[in-house]
Amino acid sequence: MHFLNKVLAIVWKDVVAELRTKELFSSMFVFALLMIVIFSFSFDLRVERVAEVAPGVLWVTFAFAGTLELNRSLATEVEGARLDGLLLAPMERSTIYFGKMLGNLVFILAIEALMLPIFSAVFDLNLLQPGLLLTVVLGTIGFAAVGTLLSTMAVNTRAREVLLPVLLFPIILPVVLSAVKITAGMLDGQAWIDMAPWLRLLIGFDIIFATVCYMTFDYVVQG
Amino acid sequence: MSYLFAAYAVFWALTFLFVFSIASRQKRLEREVDALRRALARENRPPVEKTDAS
Amino acid sequence: MKAGSRWVDLLSGLSVAMIIAALYLVFLYAPREATMGDVQRIFYFHVSSAWVGFFAFFVTLLAGIGYLRTGERRWDVLGFSSAEIGVTFTAMAVMSGSMWAKPTWNSWWPWRQEPRLVLVTILLLIYLAYFMLRTFVEEAEQRARFAAVYGIVAFASVPLTFMSIRWWQRLHPVVFDRQGAGLTRPMLLTFLFCLLSFTVLYTTLLLHRTRLANLADEVNELAQRLHSGWGGRT
Repeated sequence: MHFLNKVLAIVWKDVVAELRTKELFSSMFVFALLMIVIFSFSFDLRVERVAEVAPGVLWVTFAFAGTLELNRSLATEVEGARLDGLLLAPMERSTIYFGKMLGNLVFILAIEALMLPIFSAVFDLNLLQPGLLLTVVLGTIGFAAVGTLLSTMAVNTRAREVLLPVLLFPIILPVVLSAVKITAGMLDGQAWIDMAPWLRLLIGFDIIFATVCYMTFDYVVQG
Repeated sequence: MSYLFAAYAVFWALTFLFVFSIASRQKRLEREVDALRRALARENRPPVEKTDAS
Repeated sequence: MKAGSRWVDLLSGLSVAMIIAALYLVFLYAPREATMGDVQRIFYFHVSSAWVGFFAFFVTLLAGIGYLRTGERRWDVLGFSSAEIGVTFTAMAVMSGSMWAKPTWNSWWPWRQEPRLVLVTILLLIYLAYFMLRTFVEEAEQRARFAAVYGIVAFASVPLTFMSIRWWQRLHPVVFDRQGAGLTRPMLLTFLFCLLSFTVLYTTLLLHRTRLANLADEVNELAQRLHSGWGGRT
């Protein structure tokens, strides 16, 4: 099997398992919906122009929902001891990293795809622009890259779920900051060209984080 | 001006806090090492000497 | 062991002397800054402690790489000892930075004017998380491995965070640069001396801290021998 085939096999395994139970998906979705409603209430009282707070709200919601997803996905792996099976399989552990990362990416993106229309309606903004969708994808790639590594670490500690946000949020900050910045720029109707250097920066972050996490993942799962 | 002194007070406070924490931990550990050494010696005096003799 | 502790004593004395000399330079030798007045004197120790913070975390990164390469316990000791000092000094930098910002910009938290302060605060948070991670892993070998990985990923994110914060504040131009070009020769001299003496202080503290960690290991080992009942040599 080629590298890509192996990676896709891992992703496919997760997707099939999820389609059977749908527990991860439904809980994430309800959580994200709740976040949007709470934010819309809490800002409705004071904020005059929603577009000013929308980028921040959007990414905070994504980050929380994403954290939930990362925790759930690995917790089910550990409970079902599926990760051990994966580690015994005749493939490089780093292949598992990309498999898990892609799986997380697919799930988080799916949730975000569901949330964006709702978000647009609640906040009365058009979020379904091509540039914005690209930003969401790029930001989520960086999030999943670091999140996969750190959640593998977190589930192997005594604190488990509690630890992940503490470990993840300060490290993922550059990705979230630049994603919020680009989102804000696009909502303000800035031209593509003005956003290009920011997008390049975000792509650079994604590549750096994915590389570092790929290189260190081996050490997290060994032993 | 008071900000200046407050800032330098912070430096001193934190440095001393750190040094004291190291010093107190060191003291405690040294005591523990001594106690453990003595306990070990008491427990093992006869067999240790036996192995030395052989 | 004896010769080693002699060096430590020597270094300890040297760092105390250097810090006192640095204080003399800061308060009596360095001239009063024209626009900010005496408050500017915070600058010398503030930047020096931030520098020690960065340097300490960089050492943690190197120690992490060393640990993953070799799996030797001493790299882990070096890593967390350095991180602990780093946390102390970044906390200093954050607090003194805040105390400097209050009279300068009339706000304790100048997050638009001074991106560097934000960066140091995030560094502090990251390495607090590093210690949380350590406390939640029970097995020593796994703890060292996880901490090494986290130290590496954490330091990789530092320059990225700095870049993104810089970009963030591009829309709000810096009112005036606090350090930069405004340093006269005696000021620069004072500043460099502070940097040097803080670095010496860091080295001293690191030596003491690693010695402490080795002592703790010794205690654990002795306790284990005692409990295993067979106290003799293994």
